[in-house]
Amino acid sequence: MHRTAEAVIVGGGIIGNSIAYFLAKEGIKPVVVEKRDIAGGASGACDKAIILSSKNPGIHLELALKSADLYRELAEELGEEVEYRQEGGMIVIESPAEWETMERFVARQRRSGLNIRLLDKKETKELQPVLSDHILGATYNPDDAEVNPIMMTLALAKRAKQLGAEYLLHTEVTGVEVAHGKVKAVETSRGKIATNLVINAAGAWAPLIGDMAGLKIPIKPRRGQLLITEAMPKMIRGDILSAKYIAAKYNPDLVAQGEDLFSRLGVGLSLGQTESGNFIIGATREFVGYDTGNTPEGIEAVARNAVRIVPVLERINLIRTFAGLRPYTPDGIPILDWAPEVEGMFIAAGHEGDGIALAPITGKLVLQLITGQKLAVNPEPFKITRF
Amino acid sequence: MQQVDLAVIGAGPAGLAAAVEAATHGVRPVVFDENYRPGGQLFKQIHKFFGSREHLAGIRGFRIGEKLLADAYRLGIEVKLGATVYGLFPDRQLEVVCRQQKLSYQAQKIVLASGASENTLSFPGSTLPGVMSAGAAQTMINVNRVLPGKKVLMVGTGNVGLIVSYQLLQAGAEVACLIDAAHQLGGYGVHAAKVRRAGVPLKLGYTIVEAHGEEEVSAATIAKVDEKFQVIPGTEETLEVDTICLAVGLTPLTELAWITGCKFTYIPGLGGHVPVHNRDMETTVKGFYVAGDVTGVEEASTALEEGRLAGVAVAEALGYLDAGAAREKKAEIWRRLDQLRTGPFGSKRKQFKDSLIKEWSEYEQS
Repeated sequence: MHRTAEAVIVGGGIIGNSIAYFLAKEGIKPVVVEKRDIAGGASGACDKAIILSSKNPGIHLELALKSADLYRELAEELGEEVEYRQEGGMIVIESPAEWETMERFVARQRRSGLNIRLLDKKETKELQPVLSDHILGATYNPDDAEVNPIMMTLALAKRAKQLGAEYLLHTEVTGVEVAHGKVKAVETSRGKIATNLVINAAGAWAPLIGDMAGLKIPIKPRRGQLLITEAMPKMIRGDILSAKYIAAKYNPDLVAQGEDLFSRLGVGLSLGQTESGNFIIGATREFVGYDTGNTPEGIEAVARNAVRIVPVLERINLIRTFAGLRPYTPDGIPILDWAPEVEGMFIAAGHEGDGIALAPITGKLVLQLITGQKLAVNPEPFKITRF
Repeated sequence: MQQVDLAVIGAGPAGLAAAVEAATHGVRPVVFDENYRPGGQLFKQIHKFFGSREHLAGIRGFRIGEKLLADAYRLGIEVKLGATVYGLFPDRQLEVVCRQQKLSYQAQKIVLASGASENTLSFPGSTLPGVMSAGAAQTMINVNRVLPGKKVLMVGTGNVGLIVSYQLLQAGAEVACLIDAAHQLGGYGVHAAKVRRAGVPLKLGYTIVEAHGEEEVSAATIAKVDEKFQVIPGTEETLEVDTICLAVGLTPLTELAWITGCKFTYIPGLGGHVPVHNRDMETTVKGFYVAGDVTGVEEASTALEEGRLAGVAVAEALGYLDAGAAREKKAEIWRRLDQLRTGPFGSKRKQFKDSLIKEWSEYEQS
């Protein structure tokens, strides 16, 4: 099979599909190449939070706020049920030290335009009665939302397809042909695709695609193990995170220094309840290469941590576990940039645990950067040359 | 982490037989079962088994269970009850939750004998109290001595539907009728005859349309179906019943087998997706064996033999039994298994099981 394409998007996760949708809407018909299935990687192995509360004030939060606005539009525009709900998000605080950190975090977030506030113990319990009595308080942001990431990814793909995007699923990229510093073609397990534009949206696998073009991309796979419980009546509103999750997210060194199981595995709570009532409980943050297995320690640590914060979970059965590979970058911010020295290769990866939240703005920004349109945000912080 | 020779998952006929057989030759097994009573389904089987004497014919199921348990205790086999094996990890590591405690084991061999679970049907009213699986009704009457209702509709005429109907009658319930969407009887004629002699109608080519009731089942509407199992309008009739039992087949409980990554095949006649295995009951994952309904829904008698087969194979693989003695024992068990898999139902099952073993060899050669 030999074909040509205006653009080839590598990766059929939520980022690749969001880009495909925004490009197709603009009349650029991409071919999406995905080695498994749509949402077959991290987009199908994650929680469902579109959470702003956890974002570092600055460019990260700005991007997330813009993405949140786009989500509201997209949820309507796509015309598919994606289980988008805006039920707020909470970050629970367990120690005076965490309280101090979160107080400063919240003050900075508020200055960046986030409608977040601190709740005392009583207010916290009123909002989420299932929380343990040891919880000192929480941050609360009413604008945090939720979406079913698999349904969202599928909805983007469906619409992109209707607009002319093509999908090659179960097709592996085996090489990127570069001649005189320019991208010429993408080689796949199902033949070559001649193109001048390759968008690397392969998430944790983006560096492997980079290697094929002789390009070093500083992304590492970081495993998150999650647990699913049996369906229960609605017991929590929106998303619950722990302040420890914030620590694990922004300070991997701190986590690595800890000696207990939780620190070693980077465990921080992320808890939500699906439309059907199942709890999704996360997560570890571990550097173990491309291993997507669950481990007994990981399962135990995530479960114990969740039970400590929401004791009633102790009596609810787990029915499933899974793990996804988050594309980690050293500063926690994605790379959205043209590849240096390889003309025609664009990198859109490295969202770590924010891929779901940041997918809409990523799609839009990539379109703007590729077509030279006016930009929604300043692209400087996303440049690959920052590393 | 505890090291064990053999971990057996499931203390039903297959699992207990595997443990007893292996222990007889010197293997030290540990048996796990998430239930608080051992024996699997045996302790609700108050009916006598069929076949010849060597297949325990004429003996009631629960007596077989008692015998197996006595053997297990005599051999000092550790049977952990209320113990859920929630995960299997590389190198045959088992993670277990036992009465709120976490246990870890590393086993040289594993026999998975997790059995099967009953299928269900959805129809308007199917979530009303009073709708239950036939197996649940059987547990209530034969184990807990509680009558689930006074007047019962049985959906399904396989052996489970027939036997449980008869036992419900014995326990003092009235069985309004048995229905089956198929146009022929699902189970043995001898079981059907017992129900018929009691005056209970068997309606073939019928399905359940709806369960009625406010707080619980008070009636059921059934109707005739055509050759394509579509309801024929105008044939509906409503029966006053307070219990609807569903005996609509079983599905192997294969989750733990999937986790190991062993090869599966799809055989509807055995209950769906089942792990393939060789004549030693070993799957395509070395050291991981299966026995009983988990690898094809059959009967307690075949489950027992498959368990013994796995037990002998494990004893041989661990060096407790020399090749010659093992060969003889396995041949003997296979002879009995082949006898059990005869007759109109049995020969079909033999064909399925043979194809399963063939797939294992093909996989190993590829």
